[in-house]
Amino acid sequence: MEDNSLNHQNGVQVVKQVSAVGNNKESDEGSVKAQYSIPGILHFIQHEWARFELERSQWEVDRAELQARIAFLQGERKGQENLKNDLVRRIKMLEYALKQERSKFHKLKYGTDLQQGDMNPPAMDETSNENQLDSDQPYISVSNSTWKQGRQLLRQYLQEIGYTDRIIDVRSTRVRALLGLNNNAEQEENHNGSSLNGGESNKRPSEGQGRKPFKKERPGSLAEAMMLEAEQAVMANMEFLTNSEMEMDDDEDDIINDKDVEPMEDADDDVKTTRKKAKGDRLCSDVDAEAMEVLNELTLLFESEERNDKGEQGDWNQGYQTTIPKRPIATSGVAVNEEFTEGMDTTLGLGELAQLTVNNDAENTYDMATSKEAFRKTWNAKYTLRSHFDGVRALAFHPTEPVLITGSEDHTLKLWNLQKTVPAKKSASLDVEPLYTFRCHNKPVLCLAISGSGDYCYSGSVDSAIHVWNVPNSNIDPYDQFDPEILYTTLQGHTNAVWGLSVLSSKQQLLSCSADGTIKLWMPHSEVPLLNTFTSEQDGVPSSVDFIRDHPVQIVAAYNSSHSIIFDAETAKPVVRLESGQEQANAPNKMINKIVSHPTLPLTITAHEDRHIRFWDNVSGQMVHSMVAHLDAVTSLAVDPNGLYLLSGSHDCSIRLWHLDNKTCVQEITAHRKKFDESILDVAFHPSKPYIASAGADGLAKVFV
Amino acid sequence: MSKMKMADGATILRRNRPGTKAEDFCRWPDEAYEEMDSTLAVQQCIQQLIRKDPTNIDLILKMPETLDEGVWKYEHLRQFCMELNGLAIRLQEECRPETCNQMTATEQWIFLCAAHKTPKECAAIDYTRHTLDGAACLLNSNKYFPSRVSIKESSVAKLGSVCRRVYRIFSHAYYHHRTIFDEFEIETCLCKRFTQFVTKYNLMSKDNLIVPILGEATIGESEA
Repeated sequence: MEDNSLNHQNGVQVVKQVSAVGNNKESDEGSVKAQYSIPGILHFIQHEWARFELERSQWEVDRAELQARIAFLQGERKGQENLKNDLVRRIKMLEYALKQERSKFHKLKYGTDLQQGDMNPPAMDETSNENQLDSDQPYISVSNSTWKQGRQLLRQYLQEIGYTDRIIDVRSTRVRALLGLNNNAEQEENHNGSSLNGGESNKRPSEGQGRKPFKKERPGSLAEAMMLEAEQAVMANMEFLTNSEMEMDDDEDDIINDKDVEPMEDADDDVKTTRKKAKGDRLCSDVDAEAMEVLNELTLLFESEERNDKGEQGDWNQGYQTTIPKRPIATSGVAVNEEFTEGMDTTLGLGELAQLTVNNDAENTYDMATSKEAFRKTWNAKYTLRSHFDGVRALAFHPTEPVLITGSEDHTLKLWNLQKTVPAKKSASLDVEPLYTFRCHNKPVLCLAISGSGDYCYSGSVDSAIHVWNVPNSNIDPYDQFDPEILYTTLQGHTNAVWGLSVLSSKQQLLSCSADGTIKLWMPHSEVPLLNTFTSEQDGVPSSVDFIRDHPVQIVAAYNSSHSIIFDAETAKPVVRLESGQEQANAPNKMINKIVSHPTLPLTITAHEDRHIRFWDNVSGQMVHSMVAHLDAVTSLAVDPNGLYLLSGSHDCSIRLWHLDNKTCVQEITAHRKKFDESILDVAFHPSKPYIASAGADGLAKVFV
Repeated sequence: MSKMKMADGATILRRNRPGTKAEDFCRWPDEAYEEMDSTLAVQQCIQQLIRKDPTNIDLILKMPETLDEGVWKYEHLRQFCMELNGLAIRLQEECRPETCNQMTATEQWIFLCAAHKTPKECAAIDYTRHTLDGAACLLNSNKYFPSRVSIKESSVAKLGSVCRRVYRIFSHAYYHHRTIFDEFEIETCLCKRFTQFVTKYNLMSKDNLIVPILGEATIGESEA
């Protein structure tokens, strides 16, 4: 009773048994008389304590909330930074490609080399690789989907604690603004650089004059106009790259496309009105004439190019064709610029190119992951090439046509036309029958290459011969009469099995490596075909060889010693050794099965018996990245013509497609069965069409679309 | 066909790695047929035996007990067609349409090339190439030979006609390009092996086997 009444008075539940001592009356009087009775104090203290506890827990919640926010922001910042680095690198690549194109153009037009600012290819972004440099990191890196999931989860948490979408959005805009600003600062530098390039290039001599009237209208726009001009060129360039890429997969570029093309079209009208206002009729015709001139030159350019080198340029030609109609607009870039900046939410007119991409992506970050998955091309097996009696060791695509040649351990090569198919029963894939069988080797064929024009094919064999074949017409009757002329010539010189071939179509050169320890450089169609021989006493036998694509007077060779050497093609002297000091040399299982050079970057990629793919910087000779890429020895590599994807084949029976940017595996396909301990022996990208192919020890070749 | 899994974790990897010398190509320790777990075990086994000693025909043609005979015959025929490429490239050097404008062996028959819609009188070298190409297509056909581990009875029946056709390459070489034939035969014993193979599995009638085989008195008497 007592206890109960007391409890009611204070309104707080107390568990403690008080007033066990003394009688009821005493204690009652005490509590009325003096406020400071023991139980009262206790109750007060308890009450206060509970209040503090409550507050503390509230703070704790707040703290956790803030911490989550910090983590979220940090994560986002990191993500944005990666994105930015990635895009900046892409931009650099594109700029570099543009410069090369310009110098090519200039060379063709004036016959002299163009003096440009820095013709050095952009350096690989070391920082982005740093964390992945641990050589034995498993191949499963953070994929987009897990990143997205994590992000979703974080969002959910934040929502639970009342952190609404709007706040997130406000904050993300702030982050974006920050990023945008940073980028702008950076781009300003970039653009000064590119404007200089544009100025020095002297490509369009009338340009300066043409711009002057604009200067009156908009002070200080000469430099800007020039910058913009350069940008527009880059944009146009980019567009054709994306066009050819679209088939491959890229969605970000699609976004860019949408954003850019529309304003450009609108801008066309605007350009006209602006001109009228500025009374720039004369100018107008000037610009148009100039544009026409450029257009004509360009047309001439590919006509000649087409004649020179039909095959290799196929892809580029397409690109040019899409570029041409845009040129006239591009040359009068100021109005376009205004249109652009209106379209964008950031208003800085400078540094547009990089800003364009970065901002676009920042805006679409949330959707990006989803759209990326939706748009990503998945390769599916389409054709099975069955006709070889034994393992297929090598394959090569025709530069322009849907035609490929395979070389096999059954001593023959076969020519296949993917457009001549036999529908196979019950399976979705199509069977193709070979059109022609090249017979002359009397030992297994190990490697082959097709010339840049697609007219010749080169094959190397265990019999140490390199045969040069005329590639028959892709519509030849498979049971036509024997034509001895198909075998054009034989390159004699190696004294043991020829294991590697590589073609440099611009110079019509052929590179071969053999188990006799030598690498030979040939000019297959000249009277004295052998140009040079390369050896390395300390390294022994070469296993694979390639031209350095972005620096074609150099070649790179992989040796048994599991080192690679870059040679100067003319002096035959070693220039750089690609070796990583910390790893033990001469480990037999580290041997390199295949070496390829990146088409645009100073980057060499090697496939190793120890399941790794390693990436090397051609200038420093340092390893920039290493990854376990397969479950068994990696045997073959191919880089797509745009230099964005890497294809690898392995004795684990699978081929894998890798994104070269982030070195993540995009797709894995189990393609071939094992014979003894070998499975996939070669992989290839079609140089201009969306085909990939794999060759297997099971005697099959497969083509994926 | 049954396959036995290897119990121990053998570390020998039978691979021709890039840079392997010609003399070391496929030179690895033998693997017992029972231990091969690949779907291409029969081919592996046949090639291994041939590499070891091409003259030991009895051993090469000795079928593992557990194996389906159709598969065994099929894989052997694939191997024959593949090795016949060696004879074809030698013939390409010498056998010209001007000299051998018909596929003949003895004067008794002119063989028509079956690779065309209507059989055609191809020159010998064309007949040789077309026959080998046709055999490659048939033996790799998804329709008749979708699998290399089990073969339909109706498809096994196709093997006989392939044998008859490719045998004509031997007979043409023997009767018209004897030096080439002899060189090739000494190196590979292919005709001898082929003759024993078709005889053992009854794929061709004895009357059609017109190339005399060294050391086989039964057929060898017609030629000096």
